[in-house]
Amino acid sequence: MLDNPDREINDKGADRQPGTSRRNFLKIAALAGATVSLGGSIARANGEIGFWASELSDEQLLAMYTTILRIRWHERTMADKMLTDPGYRGYNHFYAGQEAVATGVCAALRNSGGVMQADLIYSTHRPSGHALAKGVDLKAMVAEMDFRATGLNGGYGAEMHIADPEVGFMGADGMIGPGPVIATGSAFAIKARGSDQVVVNFGGDGTYATPHFHSALNNAALLRLPFIYVIENNLYHQYAHYSFSCPMKDIADAARTYRIPGVVVDGQDVIQVYNAAKTAVDRARAGEGPTLIEAKTYRYYNHWGAPGARPGELGAFGYDPLAISSFRPERELRAWMQRDPVDIARNILVGWGVIDAAKAEEIETAVRQEVDEAFAWVAEQPLCTPEDGLRHVFAEGTVEARQFG
Amino acid sequence: MARKSWMYSVLEAVRQEMRDDPNMVWIFELTPPVASNPGMPVINLEREFGRGRVVNTGIDENWMASAVLGAGLAGSKAATYIPYQGACMPFQVIQNHAGKLRHMTGGKAAMPIVFVMEMTGQTPGFAGQHSDYEIDTYYAHIPGVKTVIPSTPYDAKGMMVSALRDPDPVVYLYPAGLRELIEEVPDEQYEVPLDKAVVRQEGGDLTIVGSGASMPEVMKAAEALAAAGMAVEAIDLRSLKPMDTETLVNSVTKTRRLLTVDQSYYTLCPGAEVIARVAENVEGARYKRVAFPDAPPPASPEMFLWMRPNADHIVEAARRLVG
Repeated sequence: MLDNPDREINDKGADRQPGTSRRNFLKIAALAGATVSLGGSIARANGEIGFWASELSDEQLLAMYTTILRIRWHERTMADKMLTDPGYRGYNHFYAGQEAVATGVCAALRNSGGVMQADLIYSTHRPSGHALAKGVDLKAMVAEMDFRATGLNGGYGAEMHIADPEVGFMGADGMIGPGPVIATGSAFAIKARGSDQVVVNFGGDGTYATPHFHSALNNAALLRLPFIYVIENNLYHQYAHYSFSCPMKDIADAARTYRIPGVVVDGQDVIQVYNAAKTAVDRARAGEGPTLIEAKTYRYYNHWGAPGARPGELGAFGYDPLAISSFRPERELRAWMQRDPVDIARNILVGWGVIDAAKAEEIETAVRQEVDEAFAWVAEQPLCTPEDGLRHVFAEGTVEARQFG
Repeated sequence: MARKSWMYSVLEAVRQEMRDDPNMVWIFELTPPVASNPGMPVINLEREFGRGRVVNTGIDENWMASAVLGAGLAGSKAATYIPYQGACMPFQVIQNHAGKLRHMTGGKAAMPIVFVMEMTGQTPGFAGQHSDYEIDTYYAHIPGVKTVIPSTPYDAKGMMVSALRDPDPVVYLYPAGLRELIEEVPDEQYEVPLDKAVVRQEGGDLTIVGSGASMPEVMKAAEALAAAGMAVEAIDLRSLKPMDTETLVNSVTKTRRLLTVDQSYYTLCPGAEVIARVAENVEGARYKRVAFPDAPPPASPEMFLWMRPNADHIVEAARRLVG
């Protein structure tokens, strides 16, 4: 089931043309690439996807590359902490390998102004990439994931419930199902109040099986809501291949049922993701209704990882104890790592003449330093006060302690 | 007879029922029906019975519960294992269909089905949706559904056998925090009743009633209190619906003091029902409830562990009740 879109056209194009003209060449090449790679999918029917990335400034392209690196190094640093630091308590559903999806989508969104202004995204149990791409503060997020009182959500939520409505990051969600339906409710309110905001729901391939997936798309289509469903198809829901939950190769085919555009995009290539997202966002803002985008991608680590992980034995870095049947073969993982979203983004920016190899190295070093500093800062942050567990149940007051009888 | 883990004991029961009844089906997601135990053959229901009868679904708990109900209505014994992430997704189909159909059809609908509902509530760090322990209250409220909650591997096997042989729908709660318990469990099938509480320890000073994941803490507290000279009668409810009023009333008639312990939220926790039933039948007794506060479980271990009822809390509450 390994879907391996042909991106060679991009890279070859990048070698041939200098500067901005390369981008123009790529605009043609990417469309050709889409035709080749998307095969029989319905995405071809929407061949009007523009090469919007050619209009991005160098600063915007740099910001996207930096975001990809920040997500990657947050993941890797966290994994290292789990392996080496016995005092570290955070856990994670790792996003490494999927960075281009969150980055490409959020680059097409308005990422400030709170829930009345910003475009809103609904995230999943694998939220750290979405959060960073949307503009959530790195330090505050790292602190939340380590249960610190100064964390993004005061230590109440941790990894599966990080949320920052100020930047339109409506939050992670530990459940598979309700998220997209709730997201359509936000889109409904936005349309009803005449705002031009857009709502994006991120969901994995596993969400296809839920009744909520179909409810979300059906109602979004019926009401022409400013709603974009981004399926990150990383081939596995929890520990099972998506063929256990979806009878189609391309989940985007489901869009046809609801008479909305369905687009398959190479989720490893941030530029292609951005192009598809920008098209969908423009369409939603113009009142033309929802889009389903399926980004073909892959997670490098297992379903989740926790402190005490040991390479090859437990958690994020080898075979999960729960993965007794139907789990992914190693050579599949290695094949996907050959199409690393960090490498692809770097090659594109270097090819376009936005940065050179030395500058790329410099950016990565700075990102690593920022991430290291964030984790160091977090390690010094205070733990939560037990009694605070009785707060925030309602807007006002506290509930009573009942555990003492 | 051998020392067996919880899941091995349960799947041993399921395997035998599936061998005895070629129509029986099992539906799961995430958690394969596989268990191993030292010195014993691996149990793998999917391998033994094939994917025609043992189905790994997509993430759709509504389908899992509905399909089991439909299978039961069509005359096949059926069970599903719903992991704790999704234990309330199928609430509607259990509450409004499974729980009412026999009655609404004037007794014509039969549903030999089991909903295994995994619960947590034991794990600090996982926050509201993955640390909660509240579904005992929800499911126990439904008429027409038997809601049971074993607290030992022995009971887990025996109650699974009974549940699978029962003609009515059973919500079989599984507090996953107990998965590490190991004890002697017979190899053959045996039944533990679905409507009887059990007195785990006899005593005349105070009755403590718990269920599921509370029981290890209750027993720890009973031991500590015994060392301090207090004779505790410890009762494990095992079945929330029907609730064994007789065992509860007999005990408190003797002790005159009742302390209930729940990992569930305070309001309408199983202990509230226990106290109500005893109060209707015993004059002049004293009561106290230990339960999780009416707040979602926070992620922070500092907050969560302070809020989750434990043996120390039980000991202190018992002293105040008796003293």
